[in-house]
Amino acid sequence: MAEVEPDPLREELEAHIGEPLGASTPTLAPDAVNLPMIRHWVDAFDDRNPVYLDGESAASARFGGVVAPPAMLQTWTMPRLQIVGIAERGGASGELPPDNPLSTLADAGYTGTLATNSELEFERYLRPGDQLRAATVLESISNRKTTTIGRGYFVTWVTTYTDGKDEVVGRQRFRILKFDPTTAGDGS
Amino acid sequence: MTTQPGDSLRFGDVTLGDELTPLDLPITATVIVAGAIASRDFMPVHHDRAFATAQGSPDIFMNILTTNGYVSRFVTDWAGPEATLRSISIRLGAPAVPDKILRFTGQVTDTQREGKEGIVEVAIRAANDLGDHATGSVVISLPLDTEA
Repeated sequence: MAEVEPDPLREELEAHIGEPLGASTPTLAPDAVNLPMIRHWVDAFDDRNPVYLDGESAASARFGGVVAPPAMLQTWTMPRLQIVGIAERGGASGELPPDNPLSTLADAGYTGTLATNSELEFERYLRPGDQLRAATVLESISNRKTTTIGRGYFVTWVTTYTDGKDEVVGRQRFRILKFDPTTAGDGS
Repeated sequence: MTTQPGDSLRFGDVTLGDELTPLDLPITATVIVAGAIASRDFMPVHHDRAFATAQGSPDIFMNILTTNGYVSRFVTDWAGPEATLRSISIRLGAPAVPDKILRFTGQVTDTQREGKEGIVEVAIRAANDLGDHATGSVVISLPLDTEA
């Protein structure tokens, strides 16, 4: 669905494709993989798989010891919360660097964020003590689309997660819709 | 689930077309907020109703990391603690909002032996009365059998 009218943002957005999104160097997880965060997760999800907390049970399984729930991969490197000003930033946990396509879109009125796709791949399960880094590259930005929740752009990035030995432990392709909530219902 | 490793599914137990044990999850604001905070996602739309409605949503809604967490639990509740997830791919549709049941269903769509492991792909769906919240696939590895 090509946009008929020219898009003044297109050139600026295009310049970021294939470039690191956010930090130009891999982001270090605030904390190493650890049991307190695993326990918090297990209780929140009522996930009673014993390999996440029960060392004896995990030792008798293929894992040989406690492992983190694989879906926590993205959680370990989530940015630390900067609670002051979060509403003014459209809900972003931290400040975005100014030269960032997500800032460009937010400044142009596309303040809403809705995650639409996630593809997680796990090379290995993580264990307490693993210190992760995440490197994120912008893969694509769609043409401007009209959706029921407003006009916006689908932004896709790929994050590669590495451990303390720089070995890849997992990857994630992630897509969000950055949208302008004031245009909800337009054209639909 | 209190399944122990010895009770886990083996590759030989799985047949193409097998259905996973459905999971009916009553969604409340507490379920959504607990998942958002455990996954360290502080976007206000996942805990602040006024913020969510200002963005055009009828209520707070589940974050995608939480959906991934429940998809993982749904699959390992069925497959058991010996299952190793290789991938989780989901596409989100209808929001998972409070006061609705989110029903997880799944079916085995592929089985392949790979050396000393068995690779099983399952198609998954999580739906409420608004429609499909998440659809996608999960790939797991299982031990071949107890002796292997």
